[in-house]
Amino acid sequence: MTDSTNGGGLQLGASVPDFELATYDPTKNDFGTVSLDQNKKAGKWTILFFYPADFTFV
Amino acid sequence: MGAELITVSTDTQFVHLAWKQHEKSLENVEYLMGADPNGKVSRLFGVYVEGAGLALRGTFIINPEGTLLSSEVSFFNVGRNIDEVMRKFKANLYVARKTAEACPAQWKDEGDKTLTPGPNLVGKVHEALTK
Repeated sequence: MTDSTNGGGLQLGASVPDFELATYDPTKNDFGTVSLDQNKKAGKWTILFFYPADFTFV
Repeated sequence: MGAELITVSTDTQFVHLAWKQHEKSLENVEYLMGADPNGKVSRLFGVYVEGAGLALRGTFIINPEGTLLSSEVSFFNVGRNIDEVMRKFKANLYVARKTAEACPAQWKDEGDKTLTPGPNLVGKVHEALTK
């Protein structure tokens, strides 16, 4: 699996470094960004749900 | 619930928009759709497949302090059960509040039996779960 996942990922219990994503927000029908820091400041939990590609199943 | 669900793929936000507008099963979607076209965030979580340029099916739960508390990854061809994702999330919320307790496999929601690890539980898990 040498061509598989890269970067090892994070261990449970580890502090996640800040990250930012460009987003599409269906409730506003608008583009924007979201970051972990933003959610932390708002006192929110963050659930990330990765999937391979749009137009396929999730 | 004080949580932000973000779906992430290596598609752009523009493709997310097109997909959302075309796919009938996404009609009621209200969560943010994150774009990770360069794979940076997917790599951070170890789900990026270099050869394919795609992210594996990974689910990660991070608390408001920024600590990673749950991670589950499955390969491209096996989908996830959203009820199980929500169960894990609720369990994490619960034990964040009740720090002495633990949620066993059968725990589904508030009010279900929990375990309190300690000397009295050693060798007595069955009794604790069935009494």
